[in-house]
Amino acid sequence: MSAAARAQIFDSIRRGLVRAVLPDAAGSRPTPEGRSSPPSASADALEAFTRALTALTGRVHRAAAVDMVPDLVAAIAHEHGARGFLAWDESHLGVPGLFAALASRGLERVDYDLPFDAASREAHALALAGVGVGLTGADAAIADAGAIVLAHGPGRGRLASLLPPAHIAVLSARQIWPTMPDLLAARPGLLDAGSNLVAIAGPSRTADIEMTLTHGVHGPKYLHVIVVP
Amino acid sequence: MTEASARFHRSVAEALADPHLRQALDRTTGRLAGGLAKAFATIPDAGALRDTARRIRAHTIAHLDQHLDQFERAATARGCHVHWAPTAADATRLVVDIARARGVSLAVKSKSMVTEEIELNAALGAAGVRVVESDLGEFVVQLADDRPSHIIAPIVHMSRDDVARLFEDKLGARPDEVADIPAITAFARRTLRQEFLQAGMGISGVNLAVADTGSLCLVTNEGNGRLTTTLPRVHVAVMGLERIVPTAADLGVVLQLLARSATGQALSVYTNIITGPRRPATSDGPGEPDGPDELHIVVVDNGRSRLLGGELAEILYCVRCGACLNICPVYHHIGGHAYGGVYPGPVGSVVSPGLMGLDEWSELPHASSLCGACRDVCPVRIDLPRLLLNLRAQTVAARMGPAWLRIAMPLYAAIATRPVLYRWLGSLAARLSRMMGHDGWLDRLPGPLSAWTTERDFPVPAPRSFVQEHHAHAPRAGGCE
Amino acid sequence: MTRPTRVQLFVTCLVDRFYPSVGHAVVAVLERQGLDVSVPMDQTCCGQPAFNGGFTDDARRMARHTVDVLSASPDPVVVPSGSCADMIVHRYPELLADDAAYAARARDLAARTFEFTQFLVDVLHVSPAAEPDGPRLAYHASCHGLRGLGLVEQPRQLLRAVAGDRCTDLPGAGICCGFGGLFAVKLAGISAAMLASKIEAIAESGADAVVATDVSCLMHIGGGLHRRGSRVRPLHVAEILAGTRHD
Repeated sequence: MSAAARAQIFDSIRRGLVRAVLPDAAGSRPTPEGRSSPPSASADALEAFTRALTALTGRVHRAAAVDMVPDLVAAIAHEHGARGFLAWDESHLGVPGLFAALASRGLERVDYDLPFDAASREAHALALAGVGVGLTGADAAIADAGAIVLAHGPGRGRLASLLPPAHIAVLSARQIWPTMPDLLAARPGLLDAGSNLVAIAGPSRTADIEMTLTHGVHGPKYLHVIVVP
Repeated sequence: MTEASARFHRSVAEALADPHLRQALDRTTGRLAGGLAKAFATIPDAGALRDTARRIRAHTIAHLDQHLDQFERAATARGCHVHWAPTAADATRLVVDIARARGVSLAVKSKSMVTEEIELNAALGAAGVRVVESDLGEFVVQLADDRPSHIIAPIVHMSRDDVARLFEDKLGARPDEVADIPAITAFARRTLRQEFLQAGMGISGVNLAVADTGSLCLVTNEGNGRLTTTLPRVHVAVMGLERIVPTAADLGVVLQLLARSATGQALSVYTNIITGPRRPATSDGPGEPDGPDELHIVVVDNGRSRLLGGELAEILYCVRCGACLNICPVYHHIGGHAYGGVYPGPVGSVVSPGLMGLDEWSELPHASSLCGACRDVCPVRIDLPRLLLNLRAQTVAARMGPAWLRIAMPLYAAIATRPVLYRWLGSLAARLSRMMGHDGWLDRLPGPLSAWTTERDFPVPAPRSFVQEHHAHAPRAGGCE
Repeated sequence: MTRPTRVQLFVTCLVDRFYPSVGHAVVAVLERQGLDVSVPMDQTCCGQPAFNGGFTDDARRMARHTVDVLSASPDPVVVPSGSCADMIVHRYPELLADDAAYAARARDLAARTFEFTQFLVDVLHVSPAAEPDGPRLAYHASCHGLRGLGLVEQPRQLLRAVAGDRCTDLPGAGICCGFGGLFAVKLAGISAAMLASKIEAIAESGADAVVATDVSCLMHIGGGLHRRGSRVRPLHVAEILAGTRHD
């Protein structure tokens, strides 16, 4: 059935294309222009990013040096009453010795690998649902949208930025791009780095009821970005 | 008048008479349209970007077969199962079969227009699969057994009290758990989190697919799209066959416009791009710790390829942002339900008859003053008035619409192309209506035109037309001030 | 284009039959600019009601008639309506594209057809003198002029020159009044609701008169105002300009 259905659809499309009225379709394929070189670590980009994310109720923390990150993370985690955290593998966070430093501050990483078997998957996920904070890196940020971009993959799970009520991301100041089109034109390979690329612009929100903005409906209610030099 | 036409006019009248709906629409559409204007003001080259986005969509649709073929190969290479559904029934059967084969009894769903279009929930329900809508608005709509009124804001027609009462009735919420909007939201989070953890399948739509990587892009603000596509072990994505762009760079351009047009955001909170199912461990290293183990993509035609073969094909450029709804003064007054279909507003007035035929949908193309605001606001500059006019011509060619008009319009054209007769009949009509008017106004017009005078007066024609006065060298009025 | 010495006036069917004073005002303004204004006797309706209703063949017949009437002379055509001008400028060339006898003439006509305020500002570069006293005006931007012809600044520039601070935009000036031709009859309820919003905006503006470039909108708005017993008057922009000097 599938091959026949496929053939039926493609036949119908090809017949349609012969007669289709498609304004502005003629000519060569448009090539979206983005900045082809990596962005500079300009103070402007960081300012714009900070302004945009802050307006979305996200919080930006500037770490003067990488070795300040453990204290920042611990302070934020304690603010949210968290004892455990979900996280990317340490090698993807850019802060050597981070997990040991956090452990000495009373914060334990909760490791996981969701199984395929339905019953044990549910039990496993349920156990993760109570973890108070998620800790990830960030592959890029988008200044005009106040968004961080996370390429998930091996050692870089999705749930750390999704399940806990608070999400902390560590971002390098050199990875702030002006716009989404700039980033995707320059680094299309990000899409295929793992099974999931996500741009996160502030905490989870909804305005479905009476257009009143409310945070944390499904994803984290709090988003913290620690910017390292 | 056909049954479908009568139904449409009834639902319009009901919508116009609903003060609550009026209030909700005032609150939402104006704000969304205002947010759009502000959001576009922040991109310096918005006009050029829209031109580029339009050309990307136009070029993609013009080579749709190639892009779909490439998409299928890329997605398959990354472990996806791509299924093809010529009709809505084929699509729902495919999804039901996948659910059955995996023993799924509960599925969570992220808001999607195309799954509404194919009526997937009903089909899964009939097959014994409980489907939970996870977008807050859609969840409420589902509980209320209602229909979404707006692509972006499905419950603009409900108040917080409506939602609170619904949660008390259907979910057993205590009054203090739904006392205000944050409480209602937190209650929904707790309720839905349980469903996410238990669901065997996640069902989503697709905002845009990327041909060269086989990626699916889903944008949401709540994060339900991410949970739907991460927690359950099987993810089924249903996409209309036109929702495709060639490359990541093309996706970037459309994303720069999409959220701005929809909600006035620079980007939605979550722009979620999925490339294949969770990647397994290899000899080189570990696999991904989460994400679905299976990813099925159901590509739905359901009238789209037929639509492609005609003068309405431009509507396939649409990226479903909903901007044309928010700017539309007709939508502003009647809301989404009155349009009758899954797709309301100007885009719906083209898509519904375009996909499902004019027989049931012949009124929609006429439900527009052709003001053109939709064309101006569209991020890919779809000439919606042109498409509505084309559909109107189709209704006339099919002898649909009011019988009096089918007689009156050719008659008017015959008169208007005979100037002597036109002038003579004009003078006669002027004389007759002056006998019926008071102080230069008519408060009642005859026959079908009486619809005008239900809520406004009609001016009495001048005794002599301008052309006649001018050629008779009548004294010239210098104006009225 | 270079400044013409003669123009043809396509006055539109609604001005012709319902608002001859607007036609005379247009002639007065143009003559004050030293132009020789001719009014072709056999002009009727541009065909927009048929076109917008989906009666394409009927619209085409009326378009051919209008092309005939306005092609007897090569002079530019001035139309005191954004909607009818848009019909001639944008729709005629499409409608008659496949008509061997008319396609070229329709394109030629489209190229020399101007909406009234567009002609005054873009072609004649008129700057009317200020009128210190007069009614407070609120401007309504008619849809097809605004979005079809891009008449954003021209009417406002003229009105500002004459009325200065006495003229403001209606709140939501560019939102449709709900006329839409047959739409006002076929979907009268929606049309009336749109009109009600427009009339609320007019009341909110506190103006004495609502001004537009199209009498179609003014007929609709005026009918609503009259039904409600409002004292606000609908005025065509030509009526404002005819009451002033032009240098």
